[in-house]
Amino acid sequence: MDQQERIQAAAKFLLQAPPGEINDVLNDIREIISDDDALQAGVQSSLQEYNLEQFVTADIPGHDHQVIVSEAGRVEVAEGGEERFLDPRSKTTFAFDHLRLEASDPQPAEVDEDAEQTRSSLEASATTYLAAHFHDGVTSVFSVPSTSKKFIVQIVANKYNPTNFWSGRWRSEYRIDLESSKVEGKILVNVHYYEQGNVQLSTTHDTSFDIPPSVQSAPPKQAAEKIVALIENEEGKYQVSLNDGYHDMAEKTFKGLRRALPLTRQKLDWDRVLGYKLGAELSNSRGTLGGAQQGFKK
Amino acid sequence: MTDLLDSMLDLMRRLPPSKVEENVNTLTNICPDYADDLLSSVDQPLRVMVDSATGREYLACDYNRDGESYRSPWSNEYDPPLDDGTTPSPKLRKLEIAANEAFDTYRELYFEGGVSSVYLWDLDDGGFAGVVVLKKVLTSTSTASPSGSWDSIHVFEASERGRNAHYKLTSTIMLHLVTKTSSKAKGAPPAEDGNSGGTGEIVLSGSMTRQVEQDHPLADPSSHITNTGRMVEDQETKMRNLLQDVYFGKTRDVVHDLRSVDDLENARRQRDLQRELVGLMKK
Repeated sequence: MDQQERIQAAAKFLLQAPPGEINDVLNDIREIISDDDALQAGVQSSLQEYNLEQFVTADIPGHDHQVIVSEAGRVEVAEGGEERFLDPRSKTTFAFDHLRLEASDPQPAEVDEDAEQTRSSLEASATTYLAAHFHDGVTSVFSVPSTSKKFIVQIVANKYNPTNFWSGRWRSEYRIDLESSKVEGKILVNVHYYEQGNVQLSTTHDTSFDIPPSVQSAPPKQAAEKIVALIENEEGKYQVSLNDGYHDMAEKTFKGLRRALPLTRQKLDWDRVLGYKLGAELSNSRGTLGGAQQGFKK
Repeated sequence: MTDLLDSMLDLMRRLPPSKVEENVNTLTNICPDYADDLLSSVDQPLRVMVDSATGREYLACDYNRDGESYRSPWSNEYDPPLDDGTTPSPKLRKLEIAANEAFDTYRELYFEGGVSSVYLWDLDDGGFAGVVVLKKVLTSTSTASPSGSWDSIHVFEASERGRNAHYKLTSTIMLHLVTKTSSKAKGAPPAEDGNSGGTGEIVLSGSMTRQVEQDHPLADPSSHITNTGRMVEDQETKMRNLLQDVYFGKTRDVVHDLRSVDDLENARRQRDLQRELVGLMKK
């Protein structure tokens, strides 16, 4: 491998970084490559891919809320132009540093007025939902450009506790289409526990549901409340099903791989396992293994 | 330059255990000079091979490898064949045969399937060392049933001290569990609200290593098998229970630290109310 290929291969490790450990992974890669200048240029696209995929959050200069930096918020720019993202809540676009995770150069954004009422209603309902069920959650609600009928609700919650060797991330996304009255959703959970070991949980969940006709005709505020209630129901059900999945794994899969005790409910009788005959046969060659032959009496 | 190896090992402790083979492979391509160090420091899942002489399955790992060939514990032959492959001394081979039979019984009782192998080798100081490896794979029989794999690698060193033997055992377990999920109740009729019920999967994977040193009486050479047998059995059971209770339990707890099934606002309101009542009573 030449240096460029080494950097490309190492950069792919970033995409596997557990929640909150991207800097630790990056530091390991720095040691391995030991060419910071070349590395910094080489990891840009992997950092960007990781951030957008993992719903990294940013503080918007001049505002006291956070926004999710993701594909849904990416602003279309002319070819070769600087990458920018939208914070729909403050109606601001900003530049984003994928290494430092900092937003800069905030600029007022024009928004689609037809979509804005529904979008901001969804945002208000989603914010209330997050306060009720997430300990440290951020939500952003985007309207899909050039339609006033499609919206994307994104949720991310992170907990990093390096002192106790664990970290976790919950991500979910709902694509709401008021024209077809359908919602497509996905939930992704990642947990890393690494105290004297390396244990990782990774779950995926895809779902879809219809928006009832009564909701379609309701005013934006009520419609938004109802749609977010459907999302809340979906996520609550999923969390309960995760618990069932754990139970199945512990009871069935684990036991199916290795039992805690043999069927007899007793540990092995190794003397019997070895067999008297076998033992006797081996005894004839006694004293010839290892270095301690002397003083070996029976 | 031990720093570089440390960084590689730190990286392996952070990246998903389910991708250890792929990631070790990439690292050895990036730093070929460190390939041997890395391969001997990071345990990887065992590969199942078939002994062409006996038809029995055995496990391939770094400890029965010579060049590109692997030695079968059943026939003592290398595959692909080697004329001058390393084999244990005749006396040690005798113990190895007996150990393979004993751990085969252990495997059957605890794993009810799977494959086991024991490899022994002579040490320069007159003692010997060995490895007990076990693997079980559960393949999913239907879309709803779980699948998974278990790999355990128990490396030990034995040194005889008169009537006793001293053992140093290093055990690694690698575990991978996959469950396909559906949040719709089993057998429920198709929902009228267009709810798909949801599909997905839960993947739990982990690896952990523990070490233990013990002295045990040595009545005759076969005591090495009963001694290491008991140590491996105890350690593996302990680690299995740790993985199930502590490690997997912890990941489940973290999910609840992220999202609460119960309404947090209600809980907050109730706490406030309680505080208010306590305040009133104190007045």
